[in-house]
Amino acid sequence: MLAAEASEEFHSPGPADFEYPQIIGGFSKPMLIIVLGTLAVALFFYFAVRRAGIVPGKLQFAAEGFYGFVRNSIAADAIGREGIKYVPYLATLLAFLIVLNISGIIPFLQFPVTSRIAIPLFLALITWVIYNSVGIKRQGFGGYFKNMMFPSGVPVAIYPLLAPIEFLSTVVFRPITLTLRLTFNMFAGHLVLLLCILGGEFLLLHVGGLIGYTAGAVSILFGVVMTFFEGFIQLLQAYVFVLLSAVYIGGALTHEH
Amino acid sequence: MSPDLPPEPSPDDAADVGRREQSDAWNAFALVASGVTVWGGVGWLLSEWLDNRVYLMLGILVGAAAALYLVWVRYGRP
Repeated sequence: MLAAEASEEFHSPGPADFEYPQIIGGFSKPMLIIVLGTLAVALFFYFAVRRAGIVPGKLQFAAEGFYGFVRNSIAADAIGREGIKYVPYLATLLAFLIVLNISGIIPFLQFPVTSRIAIPLFLALITWVIYNSVGIKRQGFGGYFKNMMFPSGVPVAIYPLLAPIEFLSTVVFRPITLTLRLTFNMFAGHLVLLLCILGGEFLLLHVGGLIGYTAGAVSILFGVVMTFFEGFIQLLQAYVFVLLSAVYIGGALTHEH
Repeated sequence: MSPDLPPEPSPDDAADVGRREQSDAWNAFALVASGVTVWGGVGWLLSEWLDNRVYLMLGILVGAAAALYLVWVRYGRP
């Protein structure tokens, strides 16, 4: 009796649901999604520009629209005229992040790989290397850190108080916040979807009755609504990641104030 | 791709201002987190050394205040 009850207990989804078993030889589903995502991005741009014409085809039109969006709405806005140089990186980053985020709501894939911290962390480190090296190259090693740590128009006496804050915020907290914001947005979103769908399934199949069927149906319906919402969040977070990367590069190029 | 550069964004554009404010908000968050970490960390070291928890509290408050001042200097000043 106890055993039968225990087997029917609902196990709420948790961090364990983000660990996937290996398919073959250390190769797991998240890795498969990364490979597929990389291929999708590469093939999209390859076929879009392979036979680039004055009159663009549908694919070329889509790719140019995407590239133009990154150039005009992200690079030009956050970096300025010099932003042109960084559009290839920013556009690739945005396409890659969109694909890896949106894999969370694509049937059968249904896992946002960016909820595993390694991927956002690595991408944030690339951005970190770019904006720091760009800043050092532009302002000189001393100049870069001087402009970063000693904002003008502040009483000299409180520089000792402010300088370590600025340094830590730019050098340490920027990549950390970049990483954590994306990771946990994807993590939490996926968890909500798991809870809605698995909870709804449990209510429908194992609880039943008036309450089970009603609450189960509501839960599944809510899961569907949340799936669309999650798609919006996934696009938004990819955009925010890229926008902040551009802002950091822009900030390193022109020292503020 | 057309070779012409996009026009310089005008500061009046509402969408541009919104974007800038959004990224400023995240930078402000990083500053405050960093302020609390740096001076809270110093305060924690002092309180371990002098065996008095007051320094930890003072450190966190001083760090938060300094960071908020810095946010004002960077983003709030007209």
